[in-house]
Order: sequence, then C-alpha cells, then structure tokens
Amino acid sequence: MGNDEKGAWRQLWNTFFGKTWPMWAAGILLALLNVCLFLVKSPWGGSGTYINWGENIYSGLKLFGLSGIKPVLSHTYGLLGLLTLLGAFAGALLGREFALRIPPPGEMFKGLLGGILMALGATLGIGCTIGGFLSGWAALSGGAIILALGFVIGTYIALRYLLWEMENLPRMSTGKSYTWLAAKAGGGVWQPILGVMLTVFLLVLFGRRFQNDNVLAMFAIIGLLIGIILQRSRFCIVRAFREPFMTGESEAPLGVMVALAVGIFGFTVIKYMGVGTSTPGAARVLAMTWVYPHFWLRALIGGTIFGLGMTVAGGCAIGTIWRAGEGQVKLWFSALGFMLFAPISKKFIVPGFAHILPEWAQQKMFLPDWFGYWGAMLLFFVLIVLWYVFVKWNERTGRFSAV
Amino acid sequence: MDVNVDKTLDCKGLSCPMPILKLAKEIKTMESSQVLELLGTDPGSKADVPGWCEKTGNEFLGMEEEEGVYKFYIRKS
Repeated sequence: MGNDEKGAWRQLWNTFFGKTWPMWAAGILLALLNVCLFLVKSPWGGSGTYINWGENIYSGLKLFGLSGIKPVLSHTYGLLGLLTLLGAFAGALLGREFALRIPPPGEMFKGLLGGILMALGATLGIGCTIGGFLSGWAALSGGAIILALGFVIGTYIALRYLLWEMENLPRMSTGKSYTWLAAKAGGGVWQPILGVMLTVFLLVLFGRRFQNDNVLAMFAIIGLLIGIILQRSRFCIVRAFREPFMTGESEAPLGVMVALAVGIFGFTVIKYMGVGTSTPGAARVLAMTWVYPHFWLRALIGGTIFGLGMTVAGGCAIGTIWRAGEGQVKLWFSALGFMLFAPISKKFIVPGFAHILPEWAQQKMFLPDWFGYWGAMLLFFVLIVLWYVFVKWNERTGRFSAV
Repeated sequence: MDVNVDKTLDCKGLSCPMPILKLAKEIKTMESSQVLELLGTDPGSKADVPGWCEKTGNEFLGMEEEEGVYKFYIRKS
C-alpha cells in the first residue's frame, strides 16, 4: 500500500474511532434503538439478560428445579445482552482500546459484590437503570420515577463509602494489576482489523437468522449496534447519577437526559397510537408495556440497593456488559455476581418480599391514567428540566461535588 | 515526556471512579507547581483526567501511552 492510501485509511479510522463519541449523540442513538426494540417486540432492558444467562447456568447444572429455560441464543434478552457484549468487544477493538485489565483483588471482590447487589436490587425493585429507568420513564411509569430516586440514594451512599474506603481501607484498591493484549501505542492495526472482521462476521451470522426468526434477528443486530455505541461513547448511567456528587461535571447526566427525552417521545407515540394493535384490549396491553407493580416502596428499596451495587461495581447492568467487552476483568466479576445471584433472588427472595410488602406499596402506576398522555409526558419533561437545572447549577457552584 | 516528576500515582488496573478519586486525594498532599505522574489503564481516564484538571484549575501537561498504560502528567496549580 502506498503512503497516501495508508494515510487515507488512517484518517477514516481517526474520524470514527480516534476519539470517544459524545454522550449526547449516543443518548439519541440508543433511545432510537430502544424505540426499535419496542416496535419489534419489547423495550430495552438489562436485568433480563442476566436472569436468562443465570437460569441457563443453573438449568445446565440441574439446580433449583428450573424448567423451560430458553437457551441464550433463543431468548430475546439473553441474545440481546450477548450481542451487546460482543458489540462492545468489537467497538473496543476498533478503537484500539481493548486490553485484558486485571485489577487488584480488592477491586475484583467489589465487582462481585456489586453484581450481587445489582441482582438483588433489580429483582426486588423490578428493573435496572435501563429497563426500569431509561425504558421505564419512556413507558410513562410512575414507579420508574421512584426507582430513579432509589438510584440517587444508593449511588450517594456508595460514593461516600468509596471515599471512606480510600482513606481507611486503602488495600481494597491497591495492589498488583495486570494489563495484557493492549494495542501498541501509535501503531498497531491488529485490533481494528479484528474489530472489523468480528462486526462483519456477527452481522452475517445473525443477519441470516432473519430467514427463520425476525424478532431474534432484530434483537441480535440491534444488540450489536448498542454494544458498539455504548463502548465508543462510554455511555454510563452510573456516571449520570454519580458525577454531580463527585466532580460536578455534566456530560453524563446530559447524555442520559437526551436519551430519556427521545425515548419518552418515541414510546408515547407508539402507546398513544396503539401501533400494531387492532382492539382496545390489545391497545391497553401495549400501553401498559413495562409498567411494573413497584410503585412505590418496592421501587424505592430495590432502586437503592441497585444504586449501591452499580456504584461499587463501577457499572450498571449494561455498563457491566460493555466494560466487560472492553476487557475490564473487575466487571467480569460483576457480571458473574449478577447472573449467579439474579435467579436465586428471583426464586427465593422476591416471592417472600412481595408477600410481606403491602399491596399499596407495589402498584402499577401508568401516569396517563392520572394525567392523560400530554400531562404525563409534561411531567417527565419537567422532571428532566429540573434535573438539568440542578446539574448545571451544581457544576457551576460545586455545592454537592466531593472531588 | 520531558518533565520533572515529583510523585507517581499508580492507578493501573483501577476503573472508574477510582483513578479520579485517588488523583484528587493525592494532589491535596502536594505543593503548588509540583508535578504528579498518574499511571492508569482505564480508557475512560483519557478524558476524565484532563477534564478534572480543567474543572479544578490544575494544569494538565500531557499524556503518553505505552502498551495499554496511560501516563498522565499534572502540575498542581
């Protein structure tokens, strides 16, 4: 290859993969893909992936008497998560950011603990930062607002813990670490080439499934795109909740706000128009999509526990997946904790919990039933604006930032 | 990079938010115009470290990359 050609390829690569993608752009794309998932079958979610993966493991080991568990490749969310992981892997390769990063033991332990807490929180509270929050707000669910409140509380407590731990238990975050298979600085083409090959391979492999199963094929392809976008932009909902208390920087919250706004609009159009339904009954079922019986105490408790877990782990359900794809071994432990504990929580802890909790603490709350579609949308947009004002004010004054 | 380093902070293997938390803590122990070298492996740090410097008014001198390890140079203001 002549030098000019080499330069042109390098330039092309630089344009798309030389720098991290802006979070607001990722927010828009992710919300649009979420709307697509809803149109195909059901909205984007994170915990469903881990539940399916975990149930497959236990089913394979013949534990807990599980039956009728769909294999990962046949389960919408099991497959979605898998392709998100592979997409993130591809994205990291394309950006030459993949490396096996093994942290000190204390960090791996926190990863595992965080994953377990997230599993508990997501099953108790019904929903994680994606299914319960990003999709939950878009679904106009009142419980999703309480869930977000739980995340704020949990994140705040966990951050205070991390600051305390840094001073008083420094050994948790110090120690030998290993970094393998990193790209050579400045040069090195093997990662981008591998990234392209992997992406093409996955597109072809799962594109072929359109012949027998449209829904699964769509979930796979969309999952792949989500994975690439997440890793390239480092889109992180934990950051959105945590950053105001840490550095006060506003890029992450803004990215999430954009995703919420686009999602709310898109979902409402679908629900309001009853897209794909032909009877009032079916339209009502569609309208109630992703409105869970967790308003309000169930969402508050589950959300707080989840917020604790995600901050300690350093990634939410989906953040764990994309960071795992990038080679961050701490998050492999988080994923492990999540998938191993989620089925246990679902089978042994949630039933008792739901039984003890009074009825009024775990209601389905569909806000248009109270305020009409316009009112409900307005309410969410007002909340987003208030959040924006708070974040910008805090960024300027540093009032709540600890660092 | 041709800089006199006063302190080195090893954050290799740590992921968000630990590098920034440790950076903030370490800078507090240093004197004005001293230079800190931060070693890290989290790609997120590439944006986080310069961002933190800008926010806190510390001078970001530059970054080098070597075999997956990022070396950041920060001068305390």
